[in-house]
Amino acid sequence: MSIIQLQRVKKHYSGTYVLQGIDLSFDKGQIVGYIGPNGAGKSTTIKILTGIISDFEGEVTVLGHDVRKEPMLIKKQIGYIPEQAALYDVLTPMEYLQFVGKLYQLDEVMIRKKALELLRLFELADKSDMRMNGFSKGMRQKVLLISGLIHNPEIIFLDEPLSGLDANAVILVKEILSQLKHAGKTIFYSSHIMDVVEKISDRIIIINKGAVIADGTFEELREAGDKGSLENIFTALTGDHQHLSTAGEFVDIMKNFTNG
Amino acid sequence: MGKWLLKLVQLFNPLFRRQGIDVDRLYTIVEMKLLMDTRRVYMSWKQGQQKENKNHLTTILLLYSLFGIFMGVAIYSMPSLIIGMILFHSYVIFMMAMTLITDFSAVLLDTTDNQILLPRPINSKTLFMARLIHVLLYLLQFSVAICLVPIAVTFFRFGFPAGLGMIITSQLSVLLAVFLTYLLYLLVLRFSTEQKIKDIVTYFQIGMTLFFTIGYQLIPRMIRVEQLSATFTVHWYSYLIPPVWMAMALDSIYALNFDAVHVVMLILAISIPLLLYWIMSRFLAPSFAKQLANLNNDSEPAKKKVAGVVKQRRSISTRLATVFCINSVERGAFQLTWKITGRDKTFRLQFYPALGYIPIFVFIIIFSAGKNINNELAMLSYSNKFLWLIYIPLFAVASSIPLVTYNENFQASWIYHSMPVSKPGYLLSGNLKALVVKYFLPVYLAFFVFALFVWGPAIIDDFILGLFNSLVSLLVLSRLSERFLPFSRQPNAKQQSGKFLQVILQMLIIALLVLIHFLMLDRTYIMYAFAALSFIILWFMVKNLQGIAWNKISV
Repeated sequence: MSIIQLQRVKKHYSGTYVLQGIDLSFDKGQIVGYIGPNGAGKSTTIKILTGIISDFEGEVTVLGHDVRKEPMLIKKQIGYIPEQAALYDVLTPMEYLQFVGKLYQLDEVMIRKKALELLRLFELADKSDMRMNGFSKGMRQKVLLISGLIHNPEIIFLDEPLSGLDANAVILVKEILSQLKHAGKTIFYSSHIMDVVEKISDRIIIINKGAVIADGTFEELREAGDKGSLENIFTALTGDHQHLSTAGEFVDIMKNFTNG
Repeated sequence: MGKWLLKLVQLFNPLFRRQGIDVDRLYTIVEMKLLMDTRRVYMSWKQGQQKENKNHLTTILLLYSLFGIFMGVAIYSMPSLIIGMILFHSYVIFMMAMTLITDFSAVLLDTTDNQILLPRPINSKTLFMARLIHVLLYLLQFSVAICLVPIAVTFFRFGFPAGLGMIITSQLSVLLAVFLTYLLYLLVLRFSTEQKIKDIVTYFQIGMTLFFTIGYQLIPRMIRVEQLSATFTVHWYSYLIPPVWMAMALDSIYALNFDAVHVVMLILAISIPLLLYWIMSRFLAPSFAKQLANLNNDSEPAKKKVAGVVKQRRSISTRLATVFCINSVERGAFQLTWKITGRDKTFRLQFYPALGYIPIFVFIIIFSAGKNINNELAMLSYSNKFLWLIYIPLFAVASSIPLVTYNENFQASWIYHSMPVSKPGYLLSGNLKALVVKYFLPVYLAFFVFALFVWGPAIIDDFILGLFNSLVSLLVLSRLSERFLPFSRQPNAKQQSGKFLQVILQMLIIALLVLIHFLMLDRTYIMYAFAALSFIILWFMVKNLQGIAWNKISV
C-alpha cells in the first residue's frame, strides 16, 4: 500500500488554480524530489499533505488516513520543515524545541536531552540559550530541521530545506536524509535546486503551473529529456529555452548603454 | 501577570475537556505566546531603550498604570461623576485601540504561526481556544493596567456600586475598542496591500509615541478643575458617543436615577458592545481570516503590469535633485536620502515624532499666555513671536542629521567605498540637502506664509535672515558630530553617546542666533547686511563640506 496518495487534487486561490489535478502515489522508504520553478505549486502540495490547507478538491491519504478526516493521526507521525525559516525567533532554540516537543507530548527531560544532542551535532550547542532573532538563516534552518525531526516521524516533508545552509551543513543534511531513508523513513523533498535533488532522490517529480510534467528516476528522466544534468532536463521540460538569448541580450545592453 | 491570570483560566479545565479540547497542548501554546509577548518590542516605549532579557511587557504595563494615576487624579478632582467617567471611558477606548493597532498587530498579522502550529498534532478546537485565551489574557492585562488606579479611585470617591459598575463598563469599552480595531484592520485589508498596512501601523506607532511623550507633559497641566463646568447636559448627539453611555449608566447606578434618559443610556451601554461583539464574531471574523489568508498567499498571480508601458515619469526627488545639486554624486546621495528616509521604518519612527512636535510647540508658544484663542490671535501681530516660527523648524529638523547615519542595512554602505567617488563630501552635502529640502523647507515655507498673513510684509527680511541662519546652524551642527556617510552605521551601537553635549551646543547656537536676530529686529538694512553675511558663510561652509576628503570620514 502506498504511504502517500493524491487523487485529482486541485486547489485554487480566488479562482486561479495553482494545482490543476495532481495524481501521485509514493511508496514507503523513498526519497522523493519534488521540483519545479517558483509558483509551480510545490509548497501548496506540501501544505495539503501536512494538513495546513484543508480546503482543496480531490482525495488525499497519508499513512492510510484521510487528511481531512483524521488529521491528528497523520500529524503525529509526520515532520514538516517549512521554507523561509518560519519559527518564533524571540525564543531560544531550546525553548522552541521544548515547545514543539510538548506539542508532540514527548517527555520534557527527554526532549531536553535530545535537543541538546542534536544542537551539538549542528554546532549550535553554545547557542542553545540565545534568542534566535540574531541567528543567521542557516542557523534557523538547522533549528527547524531539528524541530521537524525531534519526534522521530515516519514521513518527513521538507520545503527548500537547504537554503541558507553552508556547504558543510548541506553535506551533513544530505547524509542525514539518506541515512533516514535507510532507516525506513519516507522523505518528500521540494526544491528548485537541481543538483541536490539529482543526487539523493529515488524518484523525481517535476511540476510546472500546477501539473506534473515528469515523473521517474533520474535515469528515466535523463533518457526522456535531453542528455546531461537534471538542469538541462528541467529546462527542456519547462519549455524555458530562452536562457541563451537572454544572456546575450544582457551583455549587449551592458555594453551599449554607457556614458556619452 | 499573565501567569497568574492563566491560573484563573485553569478553573475552566473541566469545561474545556468536555468540549474535546486538549488541555495540555492548550496551555503549552498559551504559555509560549505569553512568554513571547513579554519579549516583543513595544512601540509605545522608545526602541533604543529596550534591552534583551528584560520583560518589556511589564515595563509597558507599569507605564500604562502610571498614566492611569493621572486619570485617577482627574476622576478624584472632578466635581461630577459623569464628566470624569466620560473622560475615563474615552481614555480606555483610545488607549486600548491604540495598543491593539500598534502592538498587537504584530500578533494579528503574523501568519508564521500557521506554518508552525498547523502541521503539529493539535486539533482545531484546541488551537482556536488557545488563540482566544491568548487574546483575552492580553486584553485583560492591558485593561487591568489601564483601569486599575481609576477604578480604585472611583471605589474610594463614589462608593461601591459605582466602582463595581465601572469594572463592567470599562470591559464593555475594551470590547468596543476591539471592535473598532477590527473594523479598521478589515477596511485596510479590504482596500490595501500588506505594505500599506505596515505603513499605516507605523504612522499609528508614531502617533502613539507622540501621545505618550506629550501626554506626560501636558495632561497633568491640563487638568484644571475650575475650568470644567460641573454640570453635564445631554444633547442629541450624546446618544452617539459611547463614553457618554457608559458615564450615564454609571451615574444611574451612583445616583439611583432611573429616568428615561438614564435608562436609554444604560441599555445602549450594555447592548451595543455586546451586539457589536456578536456581529464581529459572526460576520467580521470569518471575512477577516479569509482576507488574511489572501494576504499571505504567495501563489496569487501578481497584478498585471505590462512591461514597457510603465510611465517614465521623473519622480519629485529626481527633479528636486537636479535643481539643488551640482553633480551626479551629490544628486545620487540626495535621492538616496530622500527615498530611504521616506521608507525606512526605524527612521520614521525616530524622526517623525520630532516633526510632530513642531505644531504643538507652536501652539503652546503662541497661545500659552491667554485663555481666549481668538483674542490671542488678534494680539499676535503686535508681538515678536514670529521669531519662534523662524527658529522652531531648525530645532526639530536638526535631530534628523545624526539619525540618517544609522540604518539596518548599514552594511550596504560598502557601495560608497567601492565606487570611484573622489570627494565623499558630495555624498554628505547631497544627504544634507535632501534633509533640508524634504523636511526643513516645507515647514519653513508654511510658517512664512502664516507669518506673512499675520504680520504682513514687514517680516520678509526676518525670514530671509532666518533661512540663512538656520541653514548655517544646521551645517554647524552636522560639523559638530562625527562625519559618517549616510546610512552607514549599525543602529543601537552606542547611539546615545555624546548626545547630551550636542543638545546643549545645539541650544546655545540657536539661542545665540535668536538673540542676534532679536537685537536688530527693527533695523531692516542691518538685517539685510547680516543676511548677506550669513549667506556668504553658508556658501563657504557648503563648499567646505563638499570638499571633504576620504580621510576625514569616520567609519
